[in-house]
Amino acid sequence: MDFSHYAPLWGEALLTVLAVLIVLLGSLMKNSGKLMGYLSAAGLIAALGLVGSNLMIAKPTLFFFDTISVDALSQFFKVVFLVVSLLVVIASLSKYTGKGADEYFALLLFATVGMMVVASSIDLITLFVGFELASLSTYALAAFDKSRKNLEAAMKYFIFGSVSSAFMLFGFSLLYGMAGSTKLTVIASATIANFGPAALIALLFVIAGFAFKMALVPFHMWAPDTYEGAPPLVSAMLAAGSKKMGFAAAFRVLLVALMALRMEWYLAFAILAAITMTLGNLAACWQNNVRRILAYSSIAQAGYIAIGFVVVGKAYGLAPTTAFNGIPISPAQLGLAGALLLILGHALMKTGAFIGTAQVASMVSKNDANDPDDISNYAGLVSRAPVTALCMLIFMFALAGIPPTAGYFGKFVLFSSAIYSGLVWLAVLAILNSALSLVYYLRIISYMFLKEPAGPKMAEPKGYVVALVLTTIAVLYIGLFPQAFFDWAVQAAAVLLPQ
Amino acid sequence: MISNAISLMIAIPLLGAAVSFFAGSKAKFVALIASLIPLALSLQMYMEFDKTSKMMQFVESYNWVPSIGVKYTVGVDGIGFPLVLLSTIVSILVIIYSWGETKKPNQYFALLLLNEVGVLGVFTSLDFFLFYIYWEIVLIPMFFLIGSWGGPRRDYAAIKFFIYTHVASLVMLLAIFALYFTYQMPDGSRTFDMLTLLKATADKNIFPTSLLNIIFAGLLLGFLVKMPAFPFHTWLPDAHVEAPTAGSVVLAALLLKMGGYGLFRIILPILPHVDKAFVTIIAIIAVLSIIYGAFLALAQKDIKKLVAYSSVSHMGFVTLGAVAFTTMSIQGAMFQQFSHGIITCVLFMSAGTIQHVVGTRVIADLGGLADRMPKFAVIMMAGFMASLGLPGMSGFVAEFMVLTGSFATLPTYTMIVVFLSIVTTAAYHLWAMQKAMFGPILKKYMNVHDPHAYELFSMSMIIVLTLIFGLQPGLITGMMGTAATQVMQPVMTLSQMGVI
Repeated sequence: MDFSHYAPLWGEALLTVLAVLIVLLGSLMKNSGKLMGYLSAAGLIAALGLVGSNLMIAKPTLFFFDTISVDALSQFFKVVFLVVSLLVVIASLSKYTGKGADEYFALLLFATVGMMVVASSIDLITLFVGFELASLSTYALAAFDKSRKNLEAAMKYFIFGSVSSAFMLFGFSLLYGMAGSTKLTVIASATIANFGPAALIALLFVIAGFAFKMALVPFHMWAPDTYEGAPPLVSAMLAAGSKKMGFAAAFRVLLVALMALRMEWYLAFAILAAITMTLGNLAACWQNNVRRILAYSSIAQAGYIAIGFVVVGKAYGLAPTTAFNGIPISPAQLGLAGALLLILGHALMKTGAFIGTAQVASMVSKNDANDPDDISNYAGLVSRAPVTALCMLIFMFALAGIPPTAGYFGKFVLFSSAIYSGLVWLAVLAILNSALSLVYYLRIISYMFLKEPAGPKMAEPKGYVVALVLTTIAVLYIGLFPQAFFDWAVQAAAVLLPQ
Repeated sequence: MISNAISLMIAIPLLGAAVSFFAGSKAKFVALIASLIPLALSLQMYMEFDKTSKMMQFVESYNWVPSIGVKYTVGVDGIGFPLVLLSTIVSILVIIYSWGETKKPNQYFALLLLNEVGVLGVFTSLDFFLFYIYWEIVLIPMFFLIGSWGGPRRDYAAIKFFIYTHVASLVMLLAIFALYFTYQMPDGSRTFDMLTLLKATADKNIFPTSLLNIIFAGLLLGFLVKMPAFPFHTWLPDAHVEAPTAGSVVLAALLLKMGGYGLFRIILPILPHVDKAFVTIIAIIAVLSIIYGAFLALAQKDIKKLVAYSSVSHMGFVTLGAVAFTTMSIQGAMFQQFSHGIITCVLFMSAGTIQHVVGTRVIADLGGLADRMPKFAVIMMAGFMASLGLPGMSGFVAEFMVLTGSFATLPTYTMIVVFLSIVTTAAYHLWAMQKAMFGPILKKYMNVHDPHAYELFSMSMIIVLTLIFGLQPGLITGMMGTAATQVMQPVMTLSQMGVI
């Protein structure tokens, strides 16, 4: 048999094999946690290389009876997931070394594979399977440290997650009933809008299902508790990886299969985006737990990213009036590209920020405030753990959208696309929110840099430091040299929104 | 002729900031060198600067994000260059004044250098994308200067400063987006090039007045908050009162000038094409800033707060001169920016010196300090005289030009200013000076003495400059004359100038 045809999927294959291998090896070898960590990291780097070698695919390649598509969009998301996963693995090298580490790394790899499958799915069944693979692995990860808080977080996450999966599946079943197929392109051409209420109910359930994963208000209740209670590195994976999977799935399903209903979901997302960013930012101002602040900030960021849907829904079909570097880009494409850039930026910033909290929690747990994530533990962090504090500083400014960072450039393109498509009110609201978010980001910064140290200098574990520094460099690099990333995002957007 | 002078001038303090951060207690030497080189560069540029040219000079332009039409374009003309000169002069003097800083000196000097990077960037950027980045970067060092080295309510003041001015910047950013998406280059692409976009605003077919009004209002808000003009000035007293002396100096001497620079570079070229009501609105804001600022200064108990409100009042002259839109008023307003930039340094340094020599800034608790601090008293006196507009010093020339120039187009407003502000301004300066420095010395101050030589050196250098530019204003206004006539004519793009 000739497998060379499947070359674009070798990344997924490699990680699946590696994950199984790690489970097997782990049961045979004792105390091999460190080795498993390095193996996972190596596997993820190799997978990144494999995905990266197929980065700029001009034409989508379809696999497995047209259920999996490898295209610029799927590669974009896969790179995001792999990078997040790699950073989390590198940071985990300092924490998960002993018994059970093999399971931890195997679950992380399975979650990554699940997300990659979602990124490529153009069929509802494949998409659902990928979704569940990622979700089930992260449910287990959320409880991994087995503290009471972990268990509570995992239980909440599991229950909300299962219910949302049920919603999603119900929506999918209605779509299948109307269109007679689970393929996104077939559903798109089945004129399901003619089914009236049934189509709307399907849309409602699908959006509700995805919105749970994306943590859009009012489907966000699980997120702060879970991000706060799960092991901090797993929170990084959830906020930066699994949340973005929700967006990947929603982009595919809504923009391909349900484009005909865009006036309906445009309205839904306009409301969701407006409420989500406002409530997320307001709630974050009152928190004292840094991970809870980050959780609410992550909800707010999901609100910003959701602007992408609003722009696409509003501006779909409008002809481009602008040539960017000679290439005409329509308002809808720019909106999607902006959302993708913010997804990339947010994935990096949030991974970095959560790794930072993990780092602090690992250093201070002995003689500081009871709750390791309490903001009082961050007082004077710059003199206690200078590298962590400086990296966190960059992440906070980046999350707030201060230039020149990845967070700034993502918001820049996304908000400008809102202006481009005439959604001035949304851009104004987003920008006011952006200013509001400074309240809590500056609060963390002022704790880290302006308050007297809460304790003596601490030793910063190496794994965390490497992950933090790499993330910081990436966040600044994208902010300073955004050219390549912009072109890449536009190309990815063009997969779903061809001219 | 040095190639890439502007980029070099910005890169060196940036590098210096990084080195200072790791230089520990030696940071001040690094900072001195890293601010001396930009000063030397700017003086060299001054020698080479063609005062009669309408062109952008020392232009550098490279592609940066070609996909969205972003270029790294920097250059200076008679609007920007005097402020570049001001920034390099003030930066090094502030560093010398702070020579004795012992609290985290590495961070302190790094932040001062980073601040220099930001302001130099703002005054030289000719691309909105780049301009906005520098505009925002400036907030970061100032946030830390206030928050880390400030007074008792520093956290509040730092966060208020950051958020207040950031909101205004964001509104400006929206206006920039609107400019960007409205104007299309002949080949269909978009650009962030400042001069090209400003030139396009003159075209009614591209920018109908109704749209341009909104864009204009957004940009104007961004600049008025930074100036700050009444009623957007409320962040300023808090920031100044809590900021350390060097922070206050940089804030008043350089950061406020960014707002004024925006008026000349961006607002005035659009002004002729928007609703005429804007002229009235801006003129009223200017007059209120001048008068309200002066009266508030008169009412202050804290000498630093007095100086802070005097800034509001003096920056009002910039707004008035700009909106009066005559060659002389614009030239005067530009000179007022420069002149206030140097004079305010002495005032804030005086307030800072009184604070750490005597231990209080409350005017009522001071008295007779001149007896024990004779050298300081002379310099402070000279600074206050310059600030109230004593002939022979730069402040007089600038405000005289503004008032004379404005009388032609805005006579009523000018007369109100003349009648209400000049006496008040003289009153609060003289009253504060008299109460704090003269009269019989209070017993508890028998042991105070003149401040360190480095503090006196910075302050006296500024007095010398005030006198030089007061007697020979042509040294600076020579550059501004061409710029002022240029501002009133349609904008020329870089390609029309033939520079790129």
